[in-house]
Amino acid sequence: MTTRRIVVISAGLSTPSSSRQLADRLLADSAGLLRERGVEVEAQVFELRDLAHDITNHLLMGFAPPKLEEALDAVASADGLIVVTPIFTTSYAGLFKSFIDVIDPQALTDLPVLIGATGGTPRHSLAIDYAIRPLFTYLHAIPVTTGVFAATGDWGGGGDGVRSLPDRIFRGATEFADLVERTDRSEMVSDPFALDRPMGHLLGGLAGE
Amino acid sequence: MQFGIFTVSDITQDPTTGRTPSEAERIQATLAIATHAEEVGLDVFALGEHHNPPFWSSSPTTTLAYIAGRTSTLQLSTATTLITTNDPVKLAEDYAMLQHVSGGRADLMLGRGNTGPVYPWFGKDIRQGLPIAIESYELLHRLWREDVVDWEGKFRTPLQGFTSTPRPLDGVPPFVWHGSIRTPEVAEQAAFYGDGFFANHIFWPASHTQRMIALYRQRYEHHGHGTAAQAIVGLGGQVFMRKNSQDAVNEFRPFFDNAPVYGHGPSMEEFTQQTPLTVGSPQEVIDRTLGFRDYVGDYQRQLWLIDHAGLPLKTVLEQLDLLGEEVVPVLRREFAKDRPADVPEAPTHASLVQAKYGDDAPRQATPNANRGDNLTLGSPYQDGPAPAAVTSTGSAFGPAATRTAGAR
Repeated sequence: MTTRRIVVISAGLSTPSSSRQLADRLLADSAGLLRERGVEVEAQVFELRDLAHDITNHLLMGFAPPKLEEALDAVASADGLIVVTPIFTTSYAGLFKSFIDVIDPQALTDLPVLIGATGGTPRHSLAIDYAIRPLFTYLHAIPVTTGVFAATGDWGGGGDGVRSLPDRIFRGATEFADLVERTDRSEMVSDPFALDRPMGHLLGGLAGE
Repeated sequence: MQFGIFTVSDITQDPTTGRTPSEAERIQATLAIATHAEEVGLDVFALGEHHNPPFWSSSPTTTLAYIAGRTSTLQLSTATTLITTNDPVKLAEDYAMLQHVSGGRADLMLGRGNTGPVYPWFGKDIRQGLPIAIESYELLHRLWREDVVDWEGKFRTPLQGFTSTPRPLDGVPPFVWHGSIRTPEVAEQAAFYGDGFFANHIFWPASHTQRMIALYRQRYEHHGHGTAAQAIVGLGGQVFMRKNSQDAVNEFRPFFDNAPVYGHGPSMEEFTQQTPLTVGSPQEVIDRTLGFRDYVGDYQRQLWLIDHAGLPLKTVLEQLDLLGEEVVPVLRREFAKDRPADVPEAPTHASLVQAKYGDDAPRQATPNANRGDNLTLGSPYQDGPAPAAVTSTGSAFGPAATRTAGAR
């Protein structure tokens, strides 16, 4: 049976957090869809709150402490990435961006991404498209077209009555599952210490030796 | 095996007194540190290069030449020499000079430098850092091995009939180390030329060092310079010692917490765990250092950083005393145990001369009396091939110097 590895990053700061809750639902629908198609799913969930000090130390020192390194390695070798951040002051949380900043710029190439965000009111929902989506486009990841924004009201009866939160989650998860099913990204090893340009190539533009 | 110290030449406030030394004071302190390194029996002193405050070492060969004059056995090296923003022609000249005035006690470690603005200040583009390093070193390598060089590249003006003077001492270029933290291409470069590879090994996890050294050793063998175990490896390290471990921890903590590189980041305990930094007793330093061999194999050179972050001169000299009296003698003994006989020592001028000439007399480059003018007809040196069509015109410069008999 085929197995796909999905990594979930939640940048919610409180415990429990609605960002984590949204992340869990995005994962549940995506994994459910994949399993229906006979694809086994291995999921790893990271809450950036637990990594906040490590992320700061990485920014200051240039290397990842062990716990953060585990998260970065998981992201780099994933078949799909689900991210959820709260929207603070018109954009992603600072901690979320700091995490993105310590990811190797090549590590997300061709990675399917499902974006979620949370906020107090739906008036911030476009932050997904003007702030978060360009990050992943810049990194050559593949964010699916549906981003899922959950405002506080969405968790009760005060949300969108026509396209409810569960509908939007399912739509995003469907687009995401389609891409994750097709990728074989986790089978490709990306080793930053590997030598891909031997000296003949470096000196004179020769291919190989 | 060689043991020594390296400095990055930072001028940093002493956080325990709030006092910052002047440039003059810190330069004099470094000269005292270097000469004391020889007095306590260390082998190597290596000096960094920077072109911005709060660092003072913009001109390493000047400093090292003075230290050479004040010492007699100390090997003088760099940590690192910028192969990207320095002109390789001037590097060839400067380090050949240092080699001569030091009596063959000079080598150098090349690096790319990580201070962004230095590149534009010297007319370079940091995005081209690696291609510049590759091209510039290829030129430097030739300038020390060919009396007359014709050359054209992308990053400096071409050369026609250029001779780098003085020629390397005894016709043997200074040994070169290449330093890098995590760029595989630099390990490949070092391996390709059969040069040494130096892993910074401070500020970053040991796993990076392990990967880079493994790659360098594998490629060293691939390029035919010897077995992987015979590749020439150097490691950095960072220590602070007191006889009593807890005293070391207490005394170093304010310097750690405020150090420009890692201050206000991870705790000292996290950092000592995640990197090779060792703060404790001489025995702890011995144990930690001996452990390096477990993941890089038998190696040739160990340098420590001991004078940064505002540590006062007196403290640094005490660190040197501990290294010289308690640490290095034990390390020499322990590293020698089980070291395979075919693993070489770090190359020195004497060993390189021996390797090149055996028992024969080494080359003493002597310019032709009325040439030495870098022109390309034959060699400017007496032991070079004589130019067949040229007769002396009695002129060292101008058209007369190259006028041939037939043209007269």
